[in-house]
Amino acid sequence: MNYYTWRKAKNYFFHSLLSISAVLVLIPLFLVVAYVVYKGISGLSLDFFFNTPKPVGEVGGGMVHAIMGTLYLVALGSLIAVPIGVVCGTFLSEFGDGKIAKSLRVAIDLLTGVPSIVIGIFAYILIVIPFKGFSALAGGIALSLIILPIVTRSTEEILKLVPQHIKEAGLALGLPRWKVTYFIVVKGNLKAILTGVILAISRAAGETAPLLFTAFGNRYVSTELLSPMASLPVQIYNYSISPFDDWQAQAWTGAFVLIFLILGINLTCRTFLNRKKILEKVTRQK
Amino acid sequence: MSQPIISVKDLHIWYNDFHAIKGISIDYLPNTINAIIGPSGCGKSTFVRTLNRIHEEVPGARAQGSIMYMGKNILSSEVDPVDLRRQIGMVFQKPNPFPSMSIFENTVIGLKLQGEKNKSKLMEVAETCLKKAALWDEVKDKLNKPGTSLSGGQQQRLCIARSLAVNPPVLLMDEPTSALDPIATGKIEELMTELKKEYTVIIVTHNMQQAARIADYTSFFILGELIEHGLSSDIFTNPKQKTTEDYITGRFG
Ligand SMILES: Nc1ncnc2c1ncn2[C@@H]1O[C@H](COP(=O)(O)OP(=O)(O)O)[C@@H](O)[C@H]1O
Ligand SMILES: [Mg+2]
Repeated sequence: MNYYTWRKAKNYFFHSLLSISAVLVLIPLFLVVAYVVYKGISGLSLDFFFNTPKPVGEVGGGMVHAIMGTLYLVALGSLIAVPIGVVCGTFLSEFGDGKIAKSLRVAIDLLTGVPSIVIGIFAYILIVIPFKGFSALAGGIALSLIILPIVTRSTEEILKLVPQHIKEAGLALGLPRWKVTYFIVVKGNLKAILTGVILAISRAAGETAPLLFTAFGNRYVSTELLSPMASLPVQIYNYSISPFDDWQAQAWTGAFVLIFLILGINLTCRTFLNRKKILEKVTRQK
Repeated sequence: MSQPIISVKDLHIWYNDFHAIKGISIDYLPNTINAIIGPSGCGKSTFVRTLNRIHEEVPGARAQGSIMYMGKNILSSEVDPVDLRRQIGMVFQKPNPFPSMSIFENTVIGLKLQGEKNKSKLMEVAETCLKKAALWDEVKDKLNKPGTSLSGGQQQRLCIARSLAVNPPVLLMDEPTSALDPIATGKIEELMTELKKEYTVIIVTHNMQQAARIADYTSFFILGELIEHGLSSDIFTNPKQKTTEDYITGRFG
C-alpha cells in the first residue's frame, strides 16, 4: 500500500468516526422527542389546552392551569432574575478585575452548579416556611435562581467580545464610562444578550425539582402570587407516578406540550441569532 | 507667533516598568497640522493617547510631566478626563464605527449622549459634520444604513465626522490612513488641510510623504525620545540631526 492510499484511508476512517459520533449524539434526542410525540400526541385536544383536570375517575379534562402556571412562574422568575443577571454580567465584563467582581464570579459559578432540588429546598426555607404555605412567589424565586447564573455568565461572555477600541472610541467622544457601557456596549448587543436570556428561560421552563415544594401545584387556574400554582413539569411528574391510566396518558401529552413549548422558545432564539449573523454577513460583503 | 494651544513638557510615560516615553517636550500652535513620525514601537501612539488621557484605559500605564492645555495640566487629578476628551477628540488607526448604529446615529451619538435631544438640531449637525468629513454626498441617501456597511475609507471618514460632531478644538489622529487605499487616503488628507481652519490636528503617521504633504510641523521620535521637531519643510529638506536624515531617506528603520 503506498503512502497516498494509506493517507486517504486514514482520512476516510476519521471522517467516518466523526460522522458516527454526530449521529450517536443525535440518536437520544431523536428517540426522546419521537417517543414523547408517539405517546403524547393522541391526547392532544382542545380540552387539554382549555380545561382544568376532572376529578379522578371522570374522563377528559386538561392542563390549562399547568400551562398557564408554567408561563406565570417562568415570567415571574425572569422578572426577578433577568435584570439582576444582565447588570451582574455587565459588571463582571466591564469592571471584572476587582475583588468584589472575582468573588461574585465564583458565587455565580457555584450557583450554576447547585442541584436544582437544593434550590427548591432553599426557596422552601426562605419563602414557604415564613409565609406558612406553598406559593407561586416561592416557585418564581426558585426559578429565578436557575435563570440568574445563566443570564449573568452569558451576558458577561457576550460583552467581553466587544473590542476595547470600540469602548475607547466612545470614551474619546467625551462620554462618561457609564454611558459608554450602557448606550454603546450593552444596547449595541441587546440581541445577543436576549439570546442568552431566552436560553436561560427555556432551561427554567423545564425544571421540576425547584417547584415541587415551592409552587407545589393545584388543580385550577390561579394568578395568586401567594397561593400554590401548578406547572407543567410538576403536573407531569404527579400524573406519571399516579396509578391511573388516563392520568399517565395526560402526563405524556403534557410532556409533549412542554417539549414543544421549550423547542419553540429555542427556535425563536435561533432566529434571533441567525438574523444577527445574516445581518453581519450582508454588511461585510458590501 | 500665537500662544501654543497645547504645551507638553518633560513627559514620561511608563507601562508598568517599561519606560515608553522618555522626557518629551513639544509646543503645538493652534490651527496647525502636526505630524509625529518614527519607526514602529517608538511610542507615537503612546504619546498621543496620553494627550486626551485615553492611555488610562491601559492597566499599568502612567504618565509624568506636564501637558498644559487652557492653563491647566491635564494630567493633574483636577482635570476630569470626560471634560478633557470633549476638548481633545481622537480618531483611531482602525476605523471603528459603532456596529449597532446607523450612519446617522454614529455621527451624532456623542452629541446625543451629551443630552442633545432636538431631532432637527441633530440632523443639522450630522449634515455639517458629514460634509466637513467629505462623506455627505456618498451617504446622504442611506443615513439609516449601518455604519459598518460602508467601505473602510468611508468608515474612517464617518469616524472623523463622529469626532467633529462634539466639536473638539483639538483632534488627535493615530495613523488614520494606514488601513486605507491611496484614494481614500487622499480624501482624508484633503479633509485635514480643510479642518486646520477650525481645528488643531496632531497626526501620527508612518508615511513620511504624508507628513511632508500635509503637516506644518513634524516631530521625529525614536525609542521614546524626541530626536527632532520643527517645520516640516525643514525636517524633510534640511534635517539637523543625522538620524533624522537617515530615517527620512530610508537608510534606517
Ligand atoms: N499596552 C501596553 N503595554 C505594555 N507595553 C506597551 C503597550 N502598548 C505599547 N507598549 C510598548 O510601548 C512602546 C511604544 O508603543 P506604541 O506607542 O504603540 O508605538 P508606535 O505607535 O510608535 O508604534 C512599544 O515598545 C510597545 O511594545
Ligand atoms: Mg501606533
